[in-house]
Amino acid sequence: MNLDLTPEQSAFRDEVRAFIRERLPPDIRERLRLGYLPRKQDTVRWQRILAERGWAAPHWPRAYGGAELGQVERIILLEELQRAPAPVPQVFNINMLGPVLLQFGTEEQKARFLPRLANLDLWFCQGFSEPGAGSDLASLRTVALRDGDHYVVNGQKIWTSTAHVADWMFALVRTDAQSQRHRGISFLLIDLKSPGVTVRPIRSIDGAHHLNEVFLQDVRVPVDNRVGEEGQGWECARFLLANERSGIANVGACRERLGHARELAARTRRGGRLLSDDPHLRHELALLDAELRALEVTNQRFLLTPSAQAAMPAFASVLKLRGTALQQQLHGLLVRLGGAAVREHVDDEDVDGVPHLVERYLFARAGSIYGGTSEIQRDLVARTLLG
Amino acid sequence: MDFELNDEQRALHDSLTRLLSDRHDAETRRRIAASPAGWSEPLWRQLVELGLAALPVAAAHGGLGGRTEDLMVAMQAIGGSLAAVPLLGGVAMPAAALQAAGGDAAGRWLAALAAGDARLAWAHDEPEGDGRADWVAVRARHDGQSWRLDGRKAAVHHGESADRLLISARVRGDDGDEDGRALFLVAPDAPGLQRRGLRLIDGTPACELTLQGVPAEPVAVEGDVAARAIDAALAVGMAGCCAELLGAMEMALALTVDYLQTRRQFGRAIGDNQALRHALADMQVSLEMARSMAMLAAVQADAPTGPAARADLHRAKLVVDRHARAVAEAAIQLHGGIGMTEEYAVGHVLRRVLVLETTFGEADVHVAAIERSAPWNSISSGASCSV
Repeated sequence: MNLDLTPEQSAFRDEVRAFIRERLPPDIRERLRLGYLPRKQDTVRWQRILAERGWAAPHWPRAYGGAELGQVERIILLEELQRAPAPVPQVFNINMLGPVLLQFGTEEQKARFLPRLANLDLWFCQGFSEPGAGSDLASLRTVALRDGDHYVVNGQKIWTSTAHVADWMFALVRTDAQSQRHRGISFLLIDLKSPGVTVRPIRSIDGAHHLNEVFLQDVRVPVDNRVGEEGQGWECARFLLANERSGIANVGACRERLGHARELAARTRRGGRLLSDDPHLRHELALLDAELRALEVTNQRFLLTPSAQAAMPAFASVLKLRGTALQQQLHGLLVRLGGAAVREHVDDEDVDGVPHLVERYLFARAGSIYGGTSEIQRDLVARTLLG
Repeated sequence: MDFELNDEQRALHDSLTRLLSDRHDAETRRRIAASPAGWSEPLWRQLVELGLAALPVAAAHGGLGGRTEDLMVAMQAIGGSLAAVPLLGGVAMPAAALQAAGGDAAGRWLAALAAGDARLAWAHDEPEGDGRADWVAVRARHDGQSWRLDGRKAAVHHGESADRLLISARVRGDDGDEDGRALFLVAPDAPGLQRRGLRLIDGTPACELTLQGVPAEPVAVEGDVAARAIDAALAVGMAGCCAELLGAMEMALALTVDYLQTRRQFGRAIGDNQALRHALADMQVSLEMARSMAMLAAVQADAPTGPAARADLHRAKLVVDRHARAVAEAAIQLHGGIGMTEEYAVGHVLRRVLVLETTFGEADVHVAAIERSAPWNSISSGASCSV
């Protein structure tokens, strides 16, 4: 056992830190620190800077704009970005679609899409969930019927994050209406400018617009935009979800929020004394600090150790359960630190970050719902133990 | 970073687990607990033959020169059998202290420990100390001829059967000062020494010491050396304790999985019920956090002492304590009535947890240590720098 970074890995971390310090636009950093989520233009601007080093798509082959980083370096890069705080590379492009194209795509598809995904020339969103197919994804009903060298797609997607700013959507569709469940599903890339696509906003409880419904009515999609074989969509989806594991614990984001909590506590007076002098609060912060360390080491252990993955095949569920629980706890704590001021509704972007803590708290409730609810994750863990 | 055990460690874990399941089944454990001594010398001899006593002693003193991660493997197996054996307080912690102290007396006892010819007892805790490293109210004074000790020590594990007591005492300063602590060896028949034997709630034999002018052999008296020796012993103790708790948690989980699969109600295995499956999944999540922290503690116990390593040890103990308690309680709940019975092993896990979680301090002790290491006005906690 050895939990140290190698000298090369330490040097890499220093290199990442120095790069972020020099190149991260201060306005982006400040917005994130105050509790805003990155806007599209923030993510695009920063990802193009990262792309200079291949860090926009850290684990992809260099030929397609990646840096071919190993798992440890990927963990380091992600945690440093989250701690900065800086926007992380756009997940739908980089962590989801890119690896699927590399695994299942044709040479033409790779050449056509990958460099543009890395540089965020195209912004993809994910069209998996449907009104009747949430955690039970395989019951999806959007249909794609073959018509010559096109599919004609009809159906509805829901909970589609960023669809309103996206250029394209990758989607699971049913190409064989006769086959039930997992068979008969294909993976399509849909240009959202196509006739018949309607995107409608869903306001979420944080007052913001992240989520959408996407209606597809007789949308014509070239057969060339199918990734993998017809009927191979479920396999692509499973591969995609398995690839999503590397950032699932969100350790760096938790650490940044814990740091923010300490900072707030050290400058906030309540009842004549600094919050940081309250022993109850210090106790709570130390507990979170320790639990976060446990999550961090567990994340490293699972991602870097094949035998640990074999011993607990549902390790991604373990990471997601613990990661989202800690994140939600941290956001709850930050709201408490903010006090009554947090409950004020503000539209003004220039005020101190405190009022925005409540929006992040509200948004964080989604963590234990998207990507498979905590209940689904517990089912998966229990299945590995009980069958 | 490498989380794999090496071949020797795997072999040690397997042979030890085999031996303990052969020679230390539930019936044997009950018989040993009911015996006047409360522990089994023959079982201990078998562990000595396996090399466990030599494991933590440096090769220069006739030992195997194992690292704390080797000890971790052994303690995990011991925890998984709930065996009350004096490896940690009787050999490993004294060995760590004596090696840090150096000198003739240390060399003599280290050789005897490694050979399995002698055992010591770690006597540091005091009634008012609550596991704190710095709390030493027992006084040591030099009367011109020899050192003499006065005061009280609490919960000395396996103290009645030890060949010598390794006692911390204060040569100067106030009861809670870091400086002024020293270490002494005391013979069990020394004049002025009273040992009151007792059993801890899990059956572990222990004793309280009352010292009145007890002659003592100095091991480490000079400030720095003594502090290093005590801290080295406590580091090994905390790491070993984390590993033992991990083993006990594994036992609780294994018993619970087995019970959920075999116990039938309403015509089906109770493990078919989602509420129970989810509780089991949460136990697994806790176990994974504890496993990571036991590994971290083992590695940090051998790292150069410093604030970062020390804080990690306290983080580990805090996290493992919390999750071990949660797992043991849940295991009883999932067993229902049978879990409440003396005959069934799952309740014994909770009693072991109750003892181990207070060894080296309650949560407050660890929280204070973590908070001391947290730079209050800085966003980065620095903790992840030590990965």
